[in-house]
Amino acid sequence: MKLLPFLDRLAATPAATGNAAPRRALLQQAGRAALAALPLALGTTQPVAARTQTTAYDAITQLLQLERLQMTYYSRALTTSGLIPAAQVADFQRLYDQQLQHVALLQNTLQTAGALVPAVPAFDFSGRKNVATNPVLFPNVLSNYDDFLALAQQLEDFSVRLYTTYAFINPDDAQFAKVLLRMLAVEGEHSAHVRGLRRDRGVAVKTWPSSSDAPIVRPAAAQALAAAATAGEDNLTQLASAGVPIVFSDFLNVFKFTSVPDASLAEAFDEPVVDVDTTKKRTPQVIAQAALDLFS
Amino acid sequence: MSDILQPRGSDENTLVQPIFTPIKRRSFFMYAGATAGATALVLAGCSKDSTTPTVNLPAGNSTTADGSISLGSGDVGVLNYAYALEQLEADFYAKVAALSNGSTLLGATTFAYFQQVAKHEAIHRDFFKAALTRDANGQVLRALTPKYPAATFTDSTNILATAKAFEDLGVAAYNGAGKLLKSPAYLLLAGKIVSVEARHAAYIRDLVTPGSFAADDQVDTNSGLDKSMTPSAVLTTAQAFITEKLDGSAVGVNA
Repeated sequence: MKLLPFLDRLAATPAATGNAAPRRALLQQAGRAALAALPLALGTTQPVAARTQTTAYDAITQLLQLERLQMTYYSRALTTSGLIPAAQVADFQRLYDQQLQHVALLQNTLQTAGALVPAVPAFDFSGRKNVATNPVLFPNVLSNYDDFLALAQQLEDFSVRLYTTYAFINPDDAQFAKVLLRMLAVEGEHSAHVRGLRRDRGVAVKTWPSSSDAPIVRPAAAQALAAAATAGEDNLTQLASAGVPIVFSDFLNVFKFTSVPDASLAEAFDEPVVDVDTTKKRTPQVIAQAALDLFS
Repeated sequence: MSDILQPRGSDENTLVQPIFTPIKRRSFFMYAGATAGATALVLAGCSKDSTTPTVNLPAGNSTTADGSISLGSGDVGVLNYAYALEQLEADFYAKVAALSNGSTLLGATTFAYFQQVAKHEAIHRDFFKAALTRDANGQVLRALTPKYPAATFTDSTNILATAKAFEDLGVAAYNGAGKLLKSPAYLLLAGKIVSVEARHAAYIRDLVTPGSFAADDQVDTNSGLDKSMTPSAVLTTAQAFITEKLDGSAVGVNA
């Protein structure tokens, strides 16, 4: 197997010196997180403080679980005879291949850091969590092509937002940020393509999340997915720094328009995972985990 | 102002410069790992840098000896770099969106798509202008004069090919430049914009050749990572479409 360039860089990191290279900072953090997880797992009497800080380890493991989810989804779809039309099999093979590479990259990052690699969940795309008596939250996603595409779109949008959330979680590590940014762009391309496939089948949906997209109707128990995938995409305010919005006032020279409609302003920026209910103070990590938990 | 901000080209050979020339972070860490003995020396240089951030680097719009416009250094340089590319994209899409025969050339659906993207790119362009004006007033890159090969806007093939070239270049530029930014707010915004550009790129690619989204010439076949380009490589390509000559040699340096 050919080594990933990313791993080459990891390997090239010199052995311990007094200077914390950015790579090392991540690895140490990941290692600490792995150790820190132990007493919790053993159920010690220490009070479990509310976690407010999402670490790089948290970010990588959550991204890994989402990539595994997507990879498994495409894998099962590709092996389900007759689900994906012949003309689109190559498209989904590419999606599968690239998600597989992302899984390998994130998993190797954890392994190289000596951190715990979480177990692969037993994914259940029906939303029944492997319990036959639970209600089905995502009907027909592996038997009806349109239902399959709708869930694929939500997972790709979710993935764009989770990478946006975590791309710069370790701001001292420019190389790692670059790798996450490059995976983010790939997820954006995937989402755009899946959205295009749905549009070709008559669904009113744009290449980017838009307020004009036809809603994907799910039962209340499945709303955690929409919360992670698209909630807050209608945001119109971009901040230059904490609390300081950028003023978009100079739109007069756009073709024919004397002002840019709000829809375009929201569409021009993808958003990270956000909690639209600000009263609950849930972190993006919590919102994202609730969505992941629907599938295992 | 011009007597404070010396043209970069003129002082390149002076003895003073090495002291003030910031070391790229990446280079710094390469040095730091090289030998223990060299580390102290580099660290000394680094600490000197941090107290004299941009002393002799030109601000946006100052010109070098050969008449190039410098994009500036540090985060300002990255923002000006993105601003230059968004100016180019916005101008191209605005020209397409304004074609009186656009619907005939491209078909109504595709033409409508171009009109939407024209708005996105204008918003991105104005976002960078607003951010620079607020944070680095006086260093905002001037309005550039894009130029296009003959027949760029006269047939569908040329329009789509140019759009594909610009979108692919834009995504690779963000992929390569995000790591150069230091301000958390701008880092987040780079992430918010790169995926939208990636969506544009995938759409255009699928128009030119159905199923060519995220293809092997855009996503590395070994790593699954999207293409990334350095500012200098991007500017070499973009320069063909910009009348003014741009100098991005200090982009992201010493933030």
